[in-house]
Amino acid sequence: MTKTDIQRQLTTVFRDVFDDPRLELNDSTTAQDVENWDSITHVDLIGAVEKSFGIRFTVKDIRGLTNVGDFIRLIASLVK
Amino acid sequence: MSFLSAEFGIFLALGLVAFYLSPSHWRPSVLLGMSYAFYSSWSLPGTVLLLSVTTGVYLAARWIEGRSAEHSKFALATIAVAGLLLVLFVFKFGVSLAGIFSARPEGIAPGILLIAPLGLSYYLFKAIGYLLDVYWETMPAQRSFVSLALYLSFFPQIVSGPIQRAGDFFQQYRELDKPDSDEFIVGLRRILFGMFKKVVIADRLGLLVATTHSHPSGFSSLELLTGAYCYSLQLYADFSGITDIAIGLGLLFGIRGPENFDLPYFASNIQVFWRRWHMSLTSWLTDYLFLPLRMSLRGLGTVGLSLAIMINMLAIGLWHGPKWTYAAFGAINGVFMIVSALTLKARNKFFQDHAPLAHIRTWAGPLLTFHLMVFTHIFFSADSLRLALTYVVSILPAIRRTGIPAWRLNWPLMGISVQTFLALCAGLAAMEAIHWGAKQTYWRGRFISAPRLLRWGLYYASILILVLSIKTTMTFIYAQF
Repeated sequence: MTKTDIQRQLTTVFRDVFDDPRLELNDSTTAQDVENWDSITHVDLIGAVEKSFGIRFTVKDIRGLTNVGDFIRLIASLVK
Repeated sequence: MSFLSAEFGIFLALGLVAFYLSPSHWRPSVLLGMSYAFYSSWSLPGTVLLLSVTTGVYLAARWIEGRSAEHSKFALATIAVAGLLLVLFVFKFGVSLAGIFSARPEGIAPGILLIAPLGLSYYLFKAIGYLLDVYWETMPAQRSFVSLALYLSFFPQIVSGPIQRAGDFFQQYRELDKPDSDEFIVGLRRILFGMFKKVVIADRLGLLVATTHSHPSGFSSLELLTGAYCYSLQLYADFSGITDIAIGLGLLFGIRGPENFDLPYFASNIQVFWRRWHMSLTSWLTDYLFLPLRMSLRGLGTVGLSLAIMINMLAIGLWHGPKWTYAAFGAINGVFMIVSALTLKARNKFFQDHAPLAHIRTWAGPLLTFHLMVFTHIFFSADSLRLALTYVVSILPAIRRTGIPAWRLNWPLMGISVQTFLALCAGLAAMEAIHWGAKQTYWRGRFISAPRLLRWGLYYASILILVLSIKTTMTFIYAQF
């Protein structure tokens, strides 16, 4: 998958989890930029991303994430 | 040596002179010496424990980092964290559990093992966070023993926090040789504001609270309700006061600690409240307990979420000590949080579909959240569950069984005059206005650029009120945890 493919699919997941059809993502997007992205919805998001991409994250994987750019790179390293 | 004692004032003055006259490469050692001198003024055996924990954590982090195999890193990290939790359990929970969540068992004299060393929960949480960060490879293990020892013992933070993250501390530690005079002034201002909150507001509210909470059955519904409101406000003024002093003291030495409060009583719901109250503890628990737990239980859906929230909130409650009242405080908050988390989407949708009602939500949300917290604080403040339940029952006019008129409001009986109470309300409003203004760039700028006479007049007026209000013995509520 290319980075653009991952970002497009990830945007769909974000819109679904946060119930916001107009949500746009870029590499520097953080939890501060998305309404209701807190510690509770964060794991809902992780679960939805795992389901959508057919991958599995560990706690160690998600600890280092600081923005959507990191998230995309992590997904790219796990998808076949 | 309390932050509000004359001895501490002398200690601080001497420490500042020593710190700023030292060559820059000696400053960490001077600060470490001060921190250990401060801590040993409370307890020498406690100091030995602090040094032992520091040595163990230093070595464990180096060993974790030095291993290449994941299972070996994991095993070492698990043993080290379990060891720290054991220390916490033995010193803070062990003896009380022997008395089944009660006071000291009869026949056992007070001794070192019965008293948790000062600041134990704070420095152990710092140590656990540091070890997990090294294990998760989000930061390297410290090569310098002095830097780690200073992080764990840093005297402004060891009494009542805030719980600063290791990465944030070590980044600032590297710049100790470049003190900022502006930050020094900000630090002095924060200390003055913190002392004002504690001495003038919290301790005055405490007079009323001590009276109503000691024998709830002797007061009317309205008096008990006033007592409950005043306790929540006292707790806030007291705890945010000591946090201000801690942050201010840190700034005098070039270390900015994390904020602990962000207008919590204006939170729109209970989830937002817990993101704005004791933030350094709740964010620590979110990262090192809630998220790993929630990740492990994510396959269980709503049940997993509810379980992770409840365990997290119970941990927040029991972090304060092994008492049923703290467990109840955590459990009630857990229920509130679960209900809030599970209904948030539906509530948002409802108010989107009913736009005119959204205005009501903007003020009803904070009002409801504040009252929910006042309710849970009745359990937090009570000496026993029975006393807490008596308090709750005595508030409710329909089921209370005393001859006292439910709506009586006898100020002298509650320990303060109505004039003092109104002055305290004005003080609390001013306190929140300052909190709000400090967050706004415009108002911050206006204050800094105000005429010197006005600013210094304000400082001197605050100091005068402080001196007039000061009592001989003062303790902070959060210094006991």
